[in-house]
Amino acid sequence: MNIINIVKTKSYLRVGLAVLICFSLSACAPRIAKMVTKGDKFPLLYEEAPASILILPPINESTAADAKDYYATTIQEPLTFWGYYVFPYEITTEILKMEGIYDSELMKNLPLQKFREYFGTDAVLFTTIKKWNLSYAVFAANLTISINCELKSTKSNATLWQYNGTVVVDLSGQSSSGGIAGLIAKAIATAISSAMVDYVPHARRANYMALRSFPYGKYHPLYGKDREQKFSEQARQEE
Amino acid sequence: MNHIKLGCIVVLAILLSGCAGQRMYYWGDYSETLYQSKKNPSDQSMLNHQQSLEKILEESRKNNLRVPPGVYAELGYIYFRQNKKDLAIQNFKMEKALYPESALLMDRLEKAAKIADKPKPPEDSSLGDSPNKSDKQEK
Repeated sequence: MNIINIVKTKSYLRVGLAVLICFSLSACAPRIAKMVTKGDKFPLLYEEAPASILILPPINESTAADAKDYYATTIQEPLTFWGYYVFPYEITTEILKMEGIYDSELMKNLPLQKFREYFGTDAVLFTTIKKWNLSYAVFAANLTISINCELKSTKSNATLWQYNGTVVVDLSGQSSSGGIAGLIAKAIATAISSAMVDYVPHARRANYMALRSFPYGKYHPLYGKDREQKFSEQARQEE
Repeated sequence: MNHIKLGCIVVLAILLSGCAGQRMYYWGDYSETLYQSKKNPSDQSMLNHQQSLEKILEESRKNNLRVPPGVYAELGYIYFRQNKKDLAIQNFKMEKALYPESALLMDRLEKAAKIADKPKPPEDSSLGDSPNKSDKQEK
C-alpha cells in the first residue's frame, strides 16, 4: 500500500513537472512554428558585429498620436540587456530635432553614413508602430500593439536584423487562454498599470518578445556564442 | 503534496527568471519615470526622472554593477540644462570612460558645455554662479 502510494506520488510529480515544462516551453517558444537559428537568419549582423545602436524616433503609422513619444520610452532599456551600447535616446533625439530630423520615415533611404560620422554609431534602429489601439467587442476588450523593427548598418546600409510582431492583450480578464504566458501577461499588466488602460507596459512586453531573435552584443556574456540559438519565425502572439 | 507544490514553485521560478533575461544592469524605475515625464511633463515628473537616474548610479555602485549605457550621459545632459556645467562635463567623461563607443558624441557634448558660457535663464542663475561649489562637492 505504502509503496503504491509512493509510486503514485512520484508519477504525479513527474506528470506535473512534465506538464509545467510543456507550458513553459510554449510560453517562451512557439506552438506551431518554424524554428530557425539566429546565425542563419541574420548572418550580416554576425559579420559586422555592431557594438552600438542609435534608436531613431519611431515612425507612427497607428491612429494614436501620442504613441510615438510613449513607445520611444520603452526601447532603450531592453536593448542594453542584449549587450549593446545604446545611445541615450533623450539626447540623440533632441540633437536630431535641432537638426530638423524628427521624421524617421524620411531617413529610410538616405545614406546612414551620416549617423556614423556625427554620433559614431555602428547601427541605427528604425521602429514603426503599425497598430496601437483598443478594440471593444460585446464581452471583451482587446489591446493590440503591432511593431516593426529594423536594424540597419551605418557602414553598409544593409539590414542587419528585422522583426515584425504583434501583441494582443485580452483586457476582459475572463477567459484566460494562453496558459502561463497569458497569466504572466495579466500579472504584469495588473502590477504596472493600475486603474486605467496603459499601453506602455504592454509595449515593453512586446519589445522583450521582439528581442528573442536578436543576437547578443559585446557586453553580453553570450556575445558571439548564440549563432545556434533557435527562435520561432512566428511573429504573432495572442495573450 | 508539499513536495509537488515546492517542485512546481521551483520550476516556475526558474522559468520566470529564464524568460525575464539576465540582470546585467540596474535600471530601477527609469522607464517608468521617463514615461511619466512624457505623459505629464512638469517640474515634479522631470525631477523624479532625474532622481531615478541618480538612483541608478547609487544602486549600481552598491551592487558592483556596471552603470547602464547612457545613464551618465543623460544625467550629464540634465545637469547641462540646469547650467551645472562642471557636473555635466564630469558625467560626459564618465560615460566616455565606461563606454568608448560614446566617445565622439561625448566629446561633442563636452565641447558644447564648455562653449555655452552665457548665463542661462534667470531661474538657473543661482546654480550657474557657483560652478566651483558643485565641483568641490563632487571631488
